[in-house]
Amino acid sequence: MKYAYYPGCAAEAIMKEADETTRQVARILGIELIDMKNATCCGAGCLDEANLELSYVINARIFAIAESMGLNSIMTICSTCLQTMTKINQELQSDPELLERVNKVLRKTGTEYRGNVQMTHLLWVLVKDYGLDKVKKHVKRPLNMLNVAAFYGCHTLRPAEILGYEDPRNPKSLDLLIKALGGKTVDYRGKTRCCGFHTLLVNERASLKAGGKRLQEAKDKGADCMVTPCPLCDVSLDVYQSEAEKLYQKKTQLPVFNLSQLIALALGVDVSDLSFRKHLVSPKKIISAVIAAEG
Amino acid sequence: MVTHDLIIVGAGLAGMRAAIEAIKTPDLNVAIISKIHPVRSHSGAAQGGINAALGNAAEDSIESHTFDTIKGSDYLGDQDAIEIMCQDAPGDIYELERMGTIFSRDKNGRIAQRPFGGAAQPRACYAADRTGHAILHLLYEQLMKGGVMVYEEWHVIKLVVEDGTARGVVAINLLSGKLHRIRAKAVIFATGGYGRVFHNSTNAHANTGDGMALAYRAGAPLMDMEFVQFHPTTLKSTGILISEAARGEGGYLLNSEGERFMKKYAPNALELASRDVVSRSEQSEIEEGRGIDGCVHLDIRHLGRDKILKLLPQIRDLSITFEGVDPIDEPIPIRPGAHYSMGGIKASVDGMTSIKGFFAAGECACVSVHGANRLGGNSLLEAVVFGRRVGAAAAKFAEEAELADWSESALKDAAAEIASLLNRIEGEPYPKIRQDLQKMMIQYVGVYRDREKLETARVKVSELKARYENVSIQDLGDVFNTDLLGALEVGNLLDLAEAIVEGALNREESRGAHSRTDFTERDDENWMKHTMAYKAEEGVKLDYSNVTKTKYEPTIRKY
Amino acid sequence: MRKKILIRRFDPETVDESFLQAFNVDLPQNATILDALIKIKEEQDGTISFRKSCRSAICGSCAVTVNGVAVLACNSQFKSISWVEGDVIIEPLGNLPVLKDLIVRFYPFWHEVEKTMPWLEPKEEIGEKENIVSAEDVAIIDESANCIMCGCCFGDCTIRETDDNFMGPAALAKAWRFVGDTRDAIKTERLELLSKACNAWDCTRCNLCIDRCPKGVRPLDQIVRIRQEAMKAGIKDNKGARHALAFQSDIKNHGKLNETTMPLKTVGIIRSLGMIPMALRMQMKGKVPFPIQKDIEGIKEVKKIYKIMEVDE
Repeated sequence: MKYAYYPGCAAEAIMKEADETTRQVARILGIELIDMKNATCCGAGCLDEANLELSYVINARIFAIAESMGLNSIMTICSTCLQTMTKINQELQSDPELLERVNKVLRKTGTEYRGNVQMTHLLWVLVKDYGLDKVKKHVKRPLNMLNVAAFYGCHTLRPAEILGYEDPRNPKSLDLLIKALGGKTVDYRGKTRCCGFHTLLVNERASLKAGGKRLQEAKDKGADCMVTPCPLCDVSLDVYQSEAEKLYQKKTQLPVFNLSQLIALALGVDVSDLSFRKHLVSPKKIISAVIAAEG
Repeated sequence: MVTHDLIIVGAGLAGMRAAIEAIKTPDLNVAIISKIHPVRSHSGAAQGGINAALGNAAEDSIESHTFDTIKGSDYLGDQDAIEIMCQDAPGDIYELERMGTIFSRDKNGRIAQRPFGGAAQPRACYAADRTGHAILHLLYEQLMKGGVMVYEEWHVIKLVVEDGTARGVVAINLLSGKLHRIRAKAVIFATGGYGRVFHNSTNAHANTGDGMALAYRAGAPLMDMEFVQFHPTTLKSTGILISEAARGEGGYLLNSEGERFMKKYAPNALELASRDVVSRSEQSEIEEGRGIDGCVHLDIRHLGRDKILKLLPQIRDLSITFEGVDPIDEPIPIRPGAHYSMGGIKASVDGMTSIKGFFAAGECACVSVHGANRLGGNSLLEAVVFGRRVGAAAAKFAEEAELADWSESALKDAAAEIASLLNRIEGEPYPKIRQDLQKMMIQYVGVYRDREKLETARVKVSELKARYENVSIQDLGDVFNTDLLGALEVGNLLDLAEAIVEGALNREESRGAHSRTDFTERDDENWMKHTMAYKAEEGVKLDYSNVTKTKYEPTIRKY
Repeated sequence: MRKKILIRRFDPETVDESFLQAFNVDLPQNATILDALIKIKEEQDGTISFRKSCRSAICGSCAVTVNGVAVLACNSQFKSISWVEGDVIIEPLGNLPVLKDLIVRFYPFWHEVEKTMPWLEPKEEIGEKENIVSAEDVAIIDESANCIMCGCCFGDCTIRETDDNFMGPAALAKAWRFVGDTRDAIKTERLELLSKACNAWDCTRCNLCIDRCPKGVRPLDQIVRIRQEAMKAGIKDNKGARHALAFQSDIKNHGKLNETTMPLKTVGIIRSLGMIPMALRMQMKGKVPFPIQKDIEGIKEVKKIYKIMEVDE
């Protein structure tokens, strides 16, 4: 199994741990990830607001890089990259005139997108392509003491007609993955709702309150921790958790893991390699419990 | 007590159009009362189009529109009123467009027009298959723009008339349960139809003919109530409307043998004969054993996916959601269903009724522009044209009239009526009475009628009315008492049913939508006249009036 | 089929707290949520209160929340509510004050709609006939014209849930219906209004409105259209526009986003200072990357794209 690997800007900077642990997980599971060294930011749904045509060209260039690597599948670990790129890719693939217009620009920079790339996400790769039964075989530290709140967020689910992998009102993939890792799942209102990230810099208060609400909803249903498939959700839910607590005047202190961190933990990666110290809400107690159970 | 110059009851197309016209009168204090929010009104469910001889799709004329409407009415429509409506139609459509209605467009960027039943030319202007919705929301926009006061979710329970003059209404504010007197110099009713008298109906739950019943009780005559339009294409399991546009765009009606049976009944117009003709044909096919599970098929597959998605998106959604059938792949099972009330409160071309200061417009009024059968695309038109005219006329009346006082008894009577309902501990719940009425009416006063059926219906209505004397409700609270509202609505349906049955029983001929198997021919000599139903001490008192003819002589009606 | 249904009850006249009441009801296979509510009201408990009218998904009266999802009761068949596992729970629409049982006050919803000046301001008088508008120009506002104002999008809107001043998706979709209408005379004025705080740029793009809309209005797509038109109209002096432009310039200059300078570009220097304590905490945790990032390898090509496309900043 081989993918062009597109971690996205957040996982290359503020959420570096998501990228690092993804690479470890891929190594253990035998999934080959090839770096896309020349790739730019996808624009995250913001570039198209500033300049729609430019966003087509910028993304077509990224897809063209994958093609030039001889790969037709790009795996990302960011939900927003997934949604942005899938949407633009579908438009390029379904509108030959648009694709030609875009390629006219790209050809002048010495490249071209032929329209043969598909987008996917680590979560989908594991559930769809790799298989959870196979993941299970690699589990060294089953997470059976943990009640894990799966936080799907928005951009792996909606809009369904663009992403189309699972029922956006009743998704299963992340819960199944948690179970495959030996964990218990928590059902709560907020699991398909929004962390608020995309308005953090525009309407900070509303954004923080959205994230805080998701944390409270999970905590109220007995979650020990939360897991997200997206580094942007991680930022909202972990990095800004204390700010949300201030707004609500209510402590949640719910540790939030990136998907790849949680998998790496279950697959037995050395805890010191999981960057848990970078979390703003310390997952120390949870990690200790998992390690203790490992014996 | 609240006071306005002009009160408009009902906020569908006719009511809102009237308000928008009335506020053009400087300093006139206008308010709308509606039991549901304006955009929830049933005008929004009209799908296929609104007629006007614009001539955008083919050469057309006002004369042709007028003739088609008169012929469609089976010569019962008043020709002077029809001439006005057809004459005004293009101007009103252009005005709606300039206010902002989003019509579908032809390749020249003009308002697109499609063929409709009973029309010689493609005359129905449309917004895909959501024409009523497009105009309803447009008018609400204009209402907001004009800052018209709306008593939203207030239910009128009494039209107050003293000394032969309308003084205002008594209404319940559903949100609080409080009764209010609303005094006005002029009152317009634009309260819609009574489709919910029947079990198989395209109409909304709200369409209980409240305004007609209140006017009837206040002494205004109801005209031509026996003429109930059964729409030919309503979904088999729910009665939800499938627009005539489906046939206008080229859809076929098929029986169990896969035959386009309309060629037997209307060899020229086929599926685009007028609605009464098509509904009867379907009913005959079904009764003669060529139906499919009590229905026939509407087949639009040959139009192709693109055309269906572009021109008939809503009916595709409705078919999928409510019938489980995608019309791109399968024919739609349909049957006739009660759809429109040709009859209503007798009103002049300016909406004036027999009560001074009381006006009526839209489906609740009978002008009469539809006579014995309405053509598709003429109901939205009537609401818009006469909404405007009546708005102007009522505004003028209110401007010149003096505000009169009314006696205390009006409110007291209404309050006592409500209190008796709320205080009745034992009694029969209203839903059963309503269901029995609806099933009875479709069985005995449906597409085909005869003396025996109608006499049975007469007996049954009076039994139901007796049961209603003892009606009870469970919700005794003040705030948003939908139980109380439901019981009041059933009372309205019963009064209207009585007028429908009496009119139908007495009219010994077949004309338009009134089809008697014991009197199968139209009888111009004896029955070229309008029925007037007055509320009497006991039951209904009938009277008749002449049909206004200008230059169109009745001839045999064939499609 | 026999269904157990839990309905959230609230009677402002007798109780202070809402509660769930269970009903068992026999229904035909293709029954809808509205069918169930009517049957329960008419046969079991007449006090249950809800709005209804057309029962064919055009009047917008009957929006409720079914197991956490805002839907029209009339077009939600039991067999189609795929997200419900176990008992069906029917509650009032979210983000609006409850009046009684499933009936909410709609006033706040309409208040937001009215703020957008939701009517056409026609250009100067044309001839006696209709305006000439191409089918393509109609198509661009076609989705937003489908709106029935049922409030499903509003009831589940992420930002409305946390900010009472946010207009919500329906009002913004309605706003687009006029911004995108070639017959309207005050497009720029509208875009300026919509670019202000708590309007078009505050949406967090969660896509819930697109998921919830029963009529294919796709409110978020219309919000994005408003943003794009506002940018084209040069209305850029606001946080949302600056945020979008920061992406455009970061990609050009480095290929990647510079998360360290993004807040500065978006919210400005003064507000950024307020973020310093937060930034320090992140710094201590090793979260903040070095502010001067390495450019991507192909940055020359990217700059060339900007040059060819004459992207001005």
